[in-house]
Amino acid sequence: MRLTVKITFAVLLGVALVFSAYSYFSIQRERDQLKKNLSREARHVGENLRFIVSELWQQRGEAVAIAFLKKANQDYKSTLVRWVWLDGEILSQHQPRVPVEQLEDLYNEETVALLAGSPDGQDFLLTYLPLYTKDGRIGAIELSESMDEMHDYVQESLRRSAIVVGVSVASGVLLMGVLGSIWIGRPMRKLRAQAERIGSGDFTTSINVPGSGEIAELSGTIERMRGQLAEARAAEQIANNERIEALEKLRHTERLATLGQLSAGIAHELGTPLNVIAGRAKLIHSAGMKPDDISRSATIIGEQADRMTGIMRQLLSFARRGKSQKQSVDLSVVLQTLKPLLEPTAREQGIDLVISEAEQPLPVYVDPAQLQQVLLNLTLNGIQAMPDGGNITLISCYTSAVEPPENIENGDMNWVCLQVCDQGTGIEPETLRQIFDPFFTTKDIGQGTGLGLSIAHGIIEEHGGWIDVSSTPGEGSCFSVYLPENPSGELV
Amino acid sequence: MEAVCLDIHPQILLAEDDLELRELLIVVLSRAGYQVTSCDNGLQLLEQLKQGDKYDLVITDVRMPALSGLEVLESQIDNPCCPPFICMTAFGDTMTHATARRFGATATIDKPFDLDEMIELVHSTCLRTEAESLCVGGRS
Repeated sequence: MRLTVKITFAVLLGVALVFSAYSYFSIQRERDQLKKNLSREARHVGENLRFIVSELWQQRGEAVAIAFLKKANQDYKSTLVRWVWLDGEILSQHQPRVPVEQLEDLYNEETVALLAGSPDGQDFLLTYLPLYTKDGRIGAIELSESMDEMHDYVQESLRRSAIVVGVSVASGVLLMGVLGSIWIGRPMRKLRAQAERIGSGDFTTSINVPGSGEIAELSGTIERMRGQLAEARAAEQIANNERIEALEKLRHTERLATLGQLSAGIAHELGTPLNVIAGRAKLIHSAGMKPDDISRSATIIGEQADRMTGIMRQLLSFARRGKSQKQSVDLSVVLQTLKPLLEPTAREQGIDLVISEAEQPLPVYVDPAQLQQVLLNLTLNGIQAMPDGGNITLISCYTSAVEPPENIENGDMNWVCLQVCDQGTGIEPETLRQIFDPFFTTKDIGQGTGLGLSIAHGIIEEHGGWIDVSSTPGEGSCFSVYLPENPSGELV
Repeated sequence: MEAVCLDIHPQILLAEDDLELRELLIVVLSRAGYQVTSCDNGLQLLEQLKQGDKYDLVITDVRMPALSGLEVLESQIDNPCCPPFICMTAFGDTMTHATARRFGATATIDKPFDLDEMIELVHSTCLRTEAESLCVGGRS
């Protein structure tokens, strides 16, 4: 229920109660007063009548006295006067309207006044004035006065009170409704809308509730809170951006370091086609070339240029760094893009790069460049761990039964896996615990930043996956990169 | 390009795994008057050498599948009849050059190289070998 309605209800209930009580007691008091007046009036009349009746009784006998009373009725229209007997044989016409037991005070010569109802539902004020006759029999003059007039008066009072209460309540409701809406409803709605905006993260809109009341104070407090929250969020955003930028720079640096490691192999890869292009150009230029040979040389130059373009494109796509762009890709496709980058370096070290792709597509939602960096890093580590050559196997596969680490959310989803297995020197168990720590390196000074695996770990964690490693010193290591399957994504 | 023609046709054994470069060298060397036999890996090179055919010069890539040029060269250290070797390398580091020299390479050349330079080198190497053999022959 709305606050205004509650207050209105409470206030009007109070007003109605007080007013009703007041009306009730005033009507009650007026009723008593009216009754007293009627009673007093009846007593006066009765006493006068008693005096006359007493005199008549003594001087002219019972019949005249009672006849006088009957006659008196004609003068007092509103009051019915009768002679009643209290003892002896009582005829029905002289029977009191109330049982004789209620009139015992009359025996003490006291006047009795009481209210009684007739069988037809009318109320009467009965006044009895005792009178002892000469023969010692006790009778009384009964004055019965109808209370209808008084009832009508009370009814009227009640009706008026009810109208006043009703009108008061109605006007109160109207007034409170209008004023409540202006003073409470409207500003409260504004405050609520503002609180909801702030709750949903919109700190741009300000509100102003004029005045100096509680609601204006609350509005001022909300406004201050909005300012503080906006500042806090701006600061947090700046800090977050700085953190992301720093991380991005760090990753780019690491990427360039990886590129440096690849450069010797790439240079060789470019050297041969360059040689062919230069040589063929010279051949074309030389004397005595047949048109067919010239044409063939030109074709070869084109092919070699394409070959170089391919290598350069791979290099550039890896070196160039924009914003993180996640997309649905087939893991095996990412694996394929690594081949031209890694093969020269592997060959230089006398290492065979074996790539084993899963038969079915392995859709994942990843940033391909970041994933490339992870895999290049793992493979280059493997190459460095194999000074005597051997095989490095890159496997992409679907894993049905794998137990994700505890910190991984959505543990019940399907996982795909990329493995980089070398036949190198392996990793000692105590080293294994630290390999993902930043700046931890077993390489000589200047050979590694110690950030490669740490960054790889961060990248995979950001993609909702994890890196597992198993190693046997002297036999080799196997790094497994697990990523959540993204079956709904359309492969790029 | 000036083709240097000799009266006799020296035999050259060429080992290079890249098809295009191999073909280019064959064309250029043939045009320069050499007889060229080629192979595309270290193992074949070694087999050719073991077959006993007489070659006036071996031109080999350092890095090749199966056996590297340096490994073949190393295996020929004790062979008195070993023809002169010219090693082609793309890595260009002094280490590779020094190793090749140590194993008895007559000359090393970095890829990418100028074809004239290569022909010049082949020519001078062949002439020197011829002169040396004449010299040796004259003394005996």
